[in-house]
Amino acid sequence: MTLSPDLVFSLEIGAVAAVAAILGSMLGLGGGVFLVPILTLFFGIDPKFAVGASAVVVVTNSVVGSTNHLRIRFTNPRLAMLLQIATATGAIAGALYGVVADPRVIYGVFGAVLVYAAVSMVARRERTVTAPPPDTPDPLRLGAAYRDPAIRAEVGYIPVKPGWGLGVGAGAGVISGMLGVGGGVVMVPAMNLLMRVPVKAAVGTSTFMVGITSVATAFVFYSQGFIDPTLVVPAIIGVFLGGQIGSRLTRRIRAQRLALLFALILLYLGASLLLRAFGIAMPGQA
Amino acid sequence: MATDDIEITGAEPIEVETAILAARTERLTPLYDAAVKTFVWGFRIGAALLALGVAVALLKGEPLGREADPIAAVLGEVLAGNASGVIDLAILWFMLTPVAATIVAAVSFWRLGDRRYAALSLTVLAILGVSIALALNR
Repeated sequence: MTLSPDLVFSLEIGAVAAVAAILGSMLGLGGGVFLVPILTLFFGIDPKFAVGASAVVVVTNSVVGSTNHLRIRFTNPRLAMLLQIATATGAIAGALYGVVADPRVIYGVFGAVLVYAAVSMVARRERTVTAPPPDTPDPLRLGAAYRDPAIRAEVGYIPVKPGWGLGVGAGAGVISGMLGVGGGVVMVPAMNLLMRVPVKAAVGTSTFMVGITSVATAFVFYSQGFIDPTLVVPAIIGVFLGGQIGSRLTRRIRAQRLALLFALILLYLGASLLLRAFGIAMPGQA
Repeated sequence: MATDDIEITGAEPIEVETAILAARTERLTPLYDAAVKTFVWGFRIGAALLALGVAVALLKGEPLGREADPIAAVLGEVLAGNASGVIDLAILWFMLTPVAATIVAAVSFWRLGDRRYAALSLTVLAILGVSIALALNR
C-alpha cells in the first residue's frame, strides 16, 4: 500500500503542527510561534500561506482554550474588551501590511520576535501580585477576582496603567497580524509586569483575546486568498491533538526546568529566520 | 462599606477589597456562562463540519483546493456536496466563533446594565466587521 503524496504531505503537516502545539503549550506561547517558522524553513511554504494557516489555527486553539479559563474565571472580560480595541485594530493594520510585505521583512520581524521570546524566557520573572490596597483607583472598573486552586484562596486584582496596556496591545496586534501568532507572547508579560495582573488572569484573558485578534488577521488573509485548506486542516487537527498532549505533559514536567532547551530552540528558529531575511538558508532547511 | 450592591463589614481592608472584586466578577456569571456555551458549541459544530468534510473528501477521492473559496461561493459548494465547500465552511465557522463570543459579551454587558463595556464590545465587533467586509469583497 502506498500513500498518495497529498496524504503524506497532510500527515507531515499534522505531525509538525502537533509538535509545535506541544512546545507552544508547554511554554504558554501558543502553537503559532513554532508553526510558521517550521512550515517556512523546513517545508519551503510561502510565509503568507503559513501565516494565514497559523492565524486560523490560533483562532481554533483559543476557542478550545478559552472555555476552561472562562469557567474558572481566569478571564477578565472587561480588560479583554478594552485591550481588544487596540489589538484588533493593530492586527488588521499588521495583516494588511503582511499580505503585501516582502517575505524577507516577515522573516526578519519573526526572527526578532523569536529571539526576544527566547531571551525573555531565560530572564522570565513572574511578579507576585498582591491584593490591591483599598485606595487603588479603578475608574474603568477593570478589577476582578478569581479563585486560585493552587493557594485555595480568592485573588483580587486591579489592573493599572490601562493606557500603557492599550499601547502595548496595539503593538502586539500589529505583530500578530503580520506574523499570524496570537500575540500572547507580548500581552501576557505586558499584563503581568506592566498592568500588575496576576499571571493566571493574564494568561486567561490573553487566551480569550488572541482568538479575536487572530480572527481580524485571518479574514484579511482570507480576503487575499492566503488560506490554504491543505495546510489549515491538518494543522488544526495536529494543533488540537498536540495541545492536549502538551497540557498533560505540562502537569507532569515542570516546563521551567526545560526553559534553557526551549530557549535554544527558539534562538535557532529565530536566527534561521533572520538569516533567511538575508537570503541565507541553514543546512537541512528548504 | 457598600459597593456593587454588597455590604461587607468587620474584615481587614485588603480582604474587603478582594471580596468586593469577587462579587463584581460573580455578577458577570451570565456573561461567562453564555461565552462558554458559545465556545463549546462553536468548537463542536466546527469540528463536526471539519470531520464531515474530510470524510467526504476521502470517500469521493476529492483533493482539497490550495485556496479557500470566496465566502459568497462556499454555500453553493456545500449544496453541491463538494468536500472543499464543507471544509471551507468549517474554517469559516471556527473563525466566526470568537465573533459570536464578542456579540454575546456585548449583549451580556448590556443586560447587566454595563453600558460602557457593551459599547466597547460593539466597538470591537465593528473593528472585526472591517476585516470580515474585506473577506466578503474578495
